[in-house]
Amino acid sequence: MIRVLRLLSLLSLLEGVALAKEVHVVATVPTLAALASEVVGDHGEVISLALHTQDPHFVDARPNLALALSRADLLVLTGLGLEVGWLPTLLTGSRNGRIQPGSVGYLDASRHVQVLQIPTSAVDRSMGDIHPGGNPHYHLDPRAARPVVVALAERLGTLDPEHAGDYQLNAKLFLVELDAAIARWQEQAQPLRGIPVIDLHRSWPYVADWLGFEIVADIEPKPGVPPTPRHVLAVIGLARERGVGLVIQESWLPSNVSRTVAEKSGARLLILDAQADFRGGQTYVQHVDALVSALVAGVTP
Amino acid sequence: MLPVLLWTPRAWGDPEGSSLEDLDDIRAALQADAEEASGAPAPGASGDPPVVSAPSGSAGSTRSSSMNPNLSLIMDTALAAFSSVDEAASGGAHDPAVNGFNLQQLELAVGSAVDPYLRLDGNIVFGLFGVEIEEIYGTTVALPGALQLRMGQFLTRFGRANPTHPHTWAFVDQPLVLGRLMGGEGNRGLGVEASVLAPLPWYVEIVGSETMAAGAATARSFYGADDLGVASPADLQSTVAIKQFFPLGEDLSLMWGLSWASGPNPTGRNRTELYGTDLYLKYRPITQASFTELSLHTEWIGRRYQVPDDVLTDVTGFVQGTWRFSRRWGVAGRYEYGTPTTDLRGDEVLDPTDPAWLGFRQRIGANLTFWPSEFSRIRVQGSSDTLDWVPDPILAGFLALELSVGAHGAHAF
Repeated sequence: MIRVLRLLSLLSLLEGVALAKEVHVVATVPTLAALASEVVGDHGEVISLALHTQDPHFVDARPNLALALSRADLLVLTGLGLEVGWLPTLLTGSRNGRIQPGSVGYLDASRHVQVLQIPTSAVDRSMGDIHPGGNPHYHLDPRAARPVVVALAERLGTLDPEHAGDYQLNAKLFLVELDAAIARWQEQAQPLRGIPVIDLHRSWPYVADWLGFEIVADIEPKPGVPPTPRHVLAVIGLARERGVGLVIQESWLPSNVSRTVAEKSGARLLILDAQADFRGGQTYVQHVDALVSALVAGVTP
Repeated sequence: MLPVLLWTPRAWGDPEGSSLEDLDDIRAALQADAEEASGAPAPGASGDPPVVSAPSGSAGSTRSSSMNPNLSLIMDTALAAFSSVDEAASGGAHDPAVNGFNLQQLELAVGSAVDPYLRLDGNIVFGLFGVEIEEIYGTTVALPGALQLRMGQFLTRFGRANPTHPHTWAFVDQPLVLGRLMGGEGNRGLGVEASVLAPLPWYVEIVGSETMAAGAATARSFYGADDLGVASPADLQSTVAIKQFFPLGEDLSLMWGLSWASGPNPTGRNRTELYGTDLYLKYRPITQASFTELSLHTEWIGRRYQVPDDVLTDVTGFVQGTWRFSRRWGVAGRYEYGTPTTDLRGDEVLDPTDPAWLGFRQRIGANLTFWPSEFSRIRVQGSSDTLDWVPDPILAGFLALELSVGAHGAHAF
């Protein structure tokens, strides 16, 4: 099936070579860039504004990023306020009407995924750095990748009707590969089902929901708020009580406290890349593959 | 492909040991993390409030669709002590100015899209005794040719420091150069600005504006307090700036600007010209789990002030460095320098816009900042201001608090 689709994709590509016009896609984070790249194929270039080693909440609004946006036909963002601290000023500075909010070239991927942890009561910053629209860390859940890829194919087809068929085909190809991978990952991740896990920052509920493990505590007492010794002590106590075997965190955050919690509670610490290494050539499937493998290895005696 | 650190302190199994004995280790780890992560705390997923999932098949449908603009309030207040409050000339309008408690300002920032073509942004500043519209301007977002227009009242983009507001400053008080040459509020006015991104491989922005040249606190080197009106376009202030950015790798950034402004002054319809250059170098490692930030910012402005039968000149500027050395703590130092005003023969004369400025002036200052979160800031600052015309240096000490609430727009680099 995949071979047939790839052949069709190649034929379609050859057909369009004579009239090829590159489409410029800019994604705010590398994982979205990796997904966009699957759909764009050879019809353009995809750029990620943030690095995979960089906390996507706190990206410097360097002017060269505005320059990249000024040339974009399509902007793909996480949404839910993840990029609110840096993207708006870059967007205004880009002077690019094609990618302003409300334009065809502005794709808020969160509008297409099932969002978790949407607050149901009034929120303010006494609760930490919360996202009123819900948890934006859906990048690692391949179930969220699926609708994002579909939306990308539709949007690219609108922007570049000449290659709309190619984008649909590329998306279909990728989704076939993704579905196969999801089945494989879910089988591989059976040992994770039902186990208690502690995280540092609440970036993992989508993965937990997908793979069936339970996040019993966050080391941060509130999102973005550094823990106090008493809070860490309570987390360790809970970890011991629940027999927590895994402590997980993103690679861009300091790991000393997580390491201490792991050490004191007899758990393993996993420091994971929460974004795909897009610039290094990593695909979305490779990225999730590595993540699932690491998690499973973490609970393997 | 995915770099993963597997760390197994003990065998997978039951934990053991007394929790109270762990406190010292936890404190040490917290301290180590604080030293490693010098950035603001990372906001993240929803926290304490009750949470739900979006209903299946209706992703995004539960989100707010408010048409209200983003609103934020920022309070800057300071406890100040001066060795002399009378001689401190050329201060910023929102600097602490008296011994004791000072409300520097309460800023209401507003911003929103007007329509698909324009956005509106404003900064309305409240003091204890009045309100001022610091900035209110419309910005185009969709003109062809990478062109952008701003219309309304705005801080001109002369240099790097002038277009900024106190909550982005590395110091409690405004640089002397702005107070001396632009005015206590910084150089701003009603007018129009056009800017364009040059079609070059690197970032080059060319900015030009025409603004009203009057205002003692906003156009001090031009008409200042003596508004002689606008009889022709030459009676407006013209400003041109070129801003270039060079990404020196992922972790290091360099921004360099050149600025020029020209406008009328009140000494018989003569003109003033300002020539400025600014350099900003920032190191922030993003290829590893460290949020240390180091920056160097220097800015110098030369002034050429035409008076009947003569031209007066002076130079003022500063160099400052900042180092955020842990998650919540940072230090900064600043050296400022201003020459006396001289005439064409090189003789020292009275600064026409600041008669109290009678010679060389140097100010050196340093501060320590604590950020409880990215929305609050406590800063302790000390400075020594050496004025040729005052016998003893003026010493100043500040303990400043800044609090921010609401949805505040992202800041430019």
